[in-house]
Amino acid sequence: MTTARLSGQTGQFGAPHSRAKRTNRHVAAYLFLGALIFYFLIPIWWLIVASTKDVGGLFSGTAGALWFDETFAFGANLASLFTYNDGIYLQWLGNSLFYAISGGAGATILAVLAGYGFAKFRFAGRRFFFSILLGSVMVPLTALVIPTFILLSQVGLTDTIWAVILPSLLNPFGVYLMLVYATDAVPDELLDAARVDGAGEFRTFVQVAFPLLRPAFVTVLLLSIVGSWNNYFLPLAMLSNTRLFPITVGLGLWQGQASANNSGGESLWGLIIIGSLVSVIPLVIAFLSLQKYWQGGLSLGSLK
Amino acid sequence: MAVAPPVAVQSPRQASSKPAQPESRGKRSGRRRPSLVGWAFIAPFAVVFAVFLVAPLAYAFYLSLFSKGLATGTTFTGWDNYIRAFTDDSFVNGVWFVIRFAIVLIPVQMAVSLGVALVLDAITTRFARAARLIIFLPYAIPAVIGALMWGFLYSPTFGPLDQLFGLFGVDAPFLLGPDTVFGGLMNVVTWQWAGYYMIIIYAALQGIDPALYEAAKIDGANAWQVAFRIKVPLVSSALVLILVFALIGTLQFFTEPQILRLASNGTITPDFTPNIYAYNQAFAYANFNYASAISFALGVVVFIAVYVFLFFTRKRGSDFS
Amino acid sequence: MHLGAGPKGFTVKKNLLVATASAVTLMAALSGCAGGSTGTSSSASDCTNKIVNTDAPVVTMWAWYPNMPAVIDNFNNAHDDVQVCWNNVGQGGAQYDKVQTAISAGKGLPDVVMLEADHLAGYAIQGALVDIAEYGANDVKGNFSEGAWKDVSLGDAVYAAPVDGGPMAMIYRTDVFEQYGIDSPPTTWDEYRAAAEKVKAAGGPLFGDLGSNVPAVMMALQIQKGADPFAYDLTTPEDIRITLDDPDSQEVLDYWAGLVEDGLVGTVDQFTTDYISGVVSGEYATYISAAWAPGYLSGAGVGVGESEGVWAVAPLPQWDTAKPVSVNWGGSAFAVTSQAKDPALAAKVALGVYADPASLEDGWKNQIIFPLNQDVLTSDEFVNNESAFFSGQTANKDVYVPAENAYKGFVYPPIIVYYYAQLQAQLAKINAGEIGGAEAATELQQIMVEYAEGEGFSVSE
Repeated sequence: MTTARLSGQTGQFGAPHSRAKRTNRHVAAYLFLGALIFYFLIPIWWLIVASTKDVGGLFSGTAGALWFDETFAFGANLASLFTYNDGIYLQWLGNSLFYAISGGAGATILAVLAGYGFAKFRFAGRRFFFSILLGSVMVPLTALVIPTFILLSQVGLTDTIWAVILPSLLNPFGVYLMLVYATDAVPDELLDAARVDGAGEFRTFVQVAFPLLRPAFVTVLLLSIVGSWNNYFLPLAMLSNTRLFPITVGLGLWQGQASANNSGGESLWGLIIIGSLVSVIPLVIAFLSLQKYWQGGLSLGSLK
Repeated sequence: MAVAPPVAVQSPRQASSKPAQPESRGKRSGRRRPSLVGWAFIAPFAVVFAVFLVAPLAYAFYLSLFSKGLATGTTFTGWDNYIRAFTDDSFVNGVWFVIRFAIVLIPVQMAVSLGVALVLDAITTRFARAARLIIFLPYAIPAVIGALMWGFLYSPTFGPLDQLFGLFGVDAPFLLGPDTVFGGLMNVVTWQWAGYYMIIIYAALQGIDPALYEAAKIDGANAWQVAFRIKVPLVSSALVLILVFALIGTLQFFTEPQILRLASNGTITPDFTPNIYAYNQAFAYANFNYASAISFALGVVVFIAVYVFLFFTRKRGSDFS
Repeated sequence: MHLGAGPKGFTVKKNLLVATASAVTLMAALSGCAGGSTGTSSSASDCTNKIVNTDAPVVTMWAWYPNMPAVIDNFNNAHDDVQVCWNNVGQGGAQYDKVQTAISAGKGLPDVVMLEADHLAGYAIQGALVDIAEYGANDVKGNFSEGAWKDVSLGDAVYAAPVDGGPMAMIYRTDVFEQYGIDSPPTTWDEYRAAAEKVKAAGGPLFGDLGSNVPAVMMALQIQKGADPFAYDLTTPEDIRITLDDPDSQEVLDYWAGLVEDGLVGTVDQFTTDYISGVVSGEYATYISAAWAPGYLSGAGVGVGESEGVWAVAPLPQWDTAKPVSVNWGGSAFAVTSQAKDPALAAKVALGVYADPASLEDGWKNQIIFPLNQDVLTSDEFVNNESAFFSGQTANKDVYVPAENAYKGFVYPPIIVYYYAQLQAQLAKINAGEIGGAEAATELQQIMVEYAEGEGFSVSE
């Protein structure tokens, strides 16, 4: 039986012909990795450094862009971030979490059901729907925004949380992934056995198939959550009430205010920078703590 | 670069199995089950699909067949908007830009992510694990924030480039200027997505049966030969899949140039990419009919590009569905 | 959360499986289920402010000024018969995108919306704005200068209630002027260029900046020279006159292209962090700007630390000092949208909000606005205010109030957004040294005429 398992191999291959040669090759590899780490970390390092500066230090500091200024304003920046506009930033952060988790979970559940349905059942229109599904990833998003806006406004859902959550339930690629996975991971014999035992189709799915699909479920869930978390265009178009904004749109609002001609005696650039840093933290923590799942989910097997 | 994330998961040890068409499995027992049950499982997704993709798309297509000037009423004009799009310099130049961008960007991005994945697959030290996480990290950062950060870093007056070049007594190049914006954007996109592609390739590499390496070793293959004769061919379909998604994402290029526009001193124009042009036609110039036509025309271009690409890779033996 | 894996989540889904595949049903089912369990569902009537008199009818509003919370509270506290429900959906361009979406959709506009005067015609021609002359707008006409009123009017129709403006002037650095021997601020554009050359020859900083992202400034400077780029009136909505390549327009573009070519002015977009950083570090000796600029600059961190106490303001240089012309950049007004349920009530809000003495005082004292209300413009406190940013200079009396009073108003076309985009593109080309001023003017004329004809206008040149 093909059950999913975490990749356990130790990666021992190409045993060294000689110790020296191996070391040389590794030195080159380490230098390569080191250079890449430097490159990928630079913007993040800059973000951390910049978030400790006050406005003066940011634009005319003497220490340069990549090092700390004399004035260490991290605490002050953080305090003004959480108090500006009655602490609207925290609200945005909470909204982002809520949209990401509810939209991500919903999309994943729909994807599991549909992927399983495509993989394990024959029915009329199946091939046709499947090819439409694959084609749908080529649709430019801009084409959908205004019609979706009109549609949702007909039922009075624009400027509500549903305007963000419902469209993000659509994840055709998640369906494709679940289909690919379910095809091999859920043996037909097992399903047939459950049916022989008298289990209904839905119970068979919940009790037999779903446990086998769980690793792919977690991966699709993580991908959908990240997708919803990073979403910018959709909530930007749908929401007017600032209290409903997710963090990306909120920071965009501040950026617009900061780069336009009227910020009313207050510099928002400092808030934008520290706000960006703080908003990145939840996902970074999630990535680090869910490492096992990422690797587990992704290394379930090879790709087509 | 807003496109569904490409990751394929599959059960283990199936590195060279059949294509993932729904037709490939389950035929034996399938016939016995009523087709309604299959639909029942798909129905929730189908509803969302119909409401949030098919319906808006059909509506947008309908709108694209009409024209409305600011000073005139709406009239049915059939294909006129499409004819206009393909003779509109703004649209054609934008398409040309994203095609050139894709042709240069994607190989670079693939080379970086494939190279890193191969190195990480070969080394299993703590340092390598840390490197894998750090290179993957930009994926956790929203594109909006990533672009914002690079905008700051590109600043010729207070960015780090200024200091770096200052050491040699020359002025730093402005990476969003007319001659440099291509490279400037390429850097942002590579930074944002290369780690993600790397992880996918890495996962595929981890799925290869180590016994294959053992066999190769017995035959006297060195590490380079193992990498390029065994590993790369075995993950080639993963590469094709990623390439298709990178291609679709690049042709629909929007978020990064839209954010960096504010810092580009006019280099990034309102018709810089087709998607930005469509956005501005709809939201800034109040011409949603034409904007819909541009979006559809872009969809056609994307479709042709992907088809051409798959045609050529298929010839070389890929079984991407 | 509650939708996560688990028996409960699946029960919901199972019900849905059976449900008909109708969109409305799905939405209703999902909203019913999650709304109940989370309690965070919200309706469209959410406001960022408090409604004081809950019995009164509510008028919804979008506006972006940072002191709007105080302004709205002032209004709501003073009114029993109407309350404002306010939201900030973005500054300028971001909000305009939303306004346009809602106009296209025919739904989603608030009752009252803050707009810059240059956008009024573009929305009015789409039938999105209400002529508030019918609702008593002309009663307050006397509170504003002729120019301010002309900006919000199209013919006899009045499409918004003015709040604040941006009479233009020249901000400069006294330390730079002193160091390079510029004894008095230039009063003409010829003197301006001469001073720029003198400073540059001595190795000094740039004399201003031609940011491509502020096309409104170029338009104002061309009008100052005598250009009259557009004629438009909604009574004959299909007729428009476009004159962008007349000698005056060409000459002003050439003048600035020349400054760019000789390296006398900067070419960085304004309001960017890059630009601010240049201003703070003394890369610019002057800033051709509007009356709200001190607020913007001090908010961006200019005028503190090393750049404190070095700023002063002088009137905008003229082409002909015998016939000085005053021009305007920016400012805002409140318009009533045609989606308002009760236009009369909405007009009352548009005319009344940010019009009370307390709000206006809060606005100008915190350097958020340059008010247009004559009660403020003539008040002793405002006129004689010693500006902290300008080290105690009575900037209002010396420069800004006279400039506002002399302002005659502009005519904006309904295709202004497209025009700004095209002008911006030409300015970027000028900054890149690809094109001369006169050439840019000719190209603009051709592009705009073609565009206007494509939009169905009958164009005269």
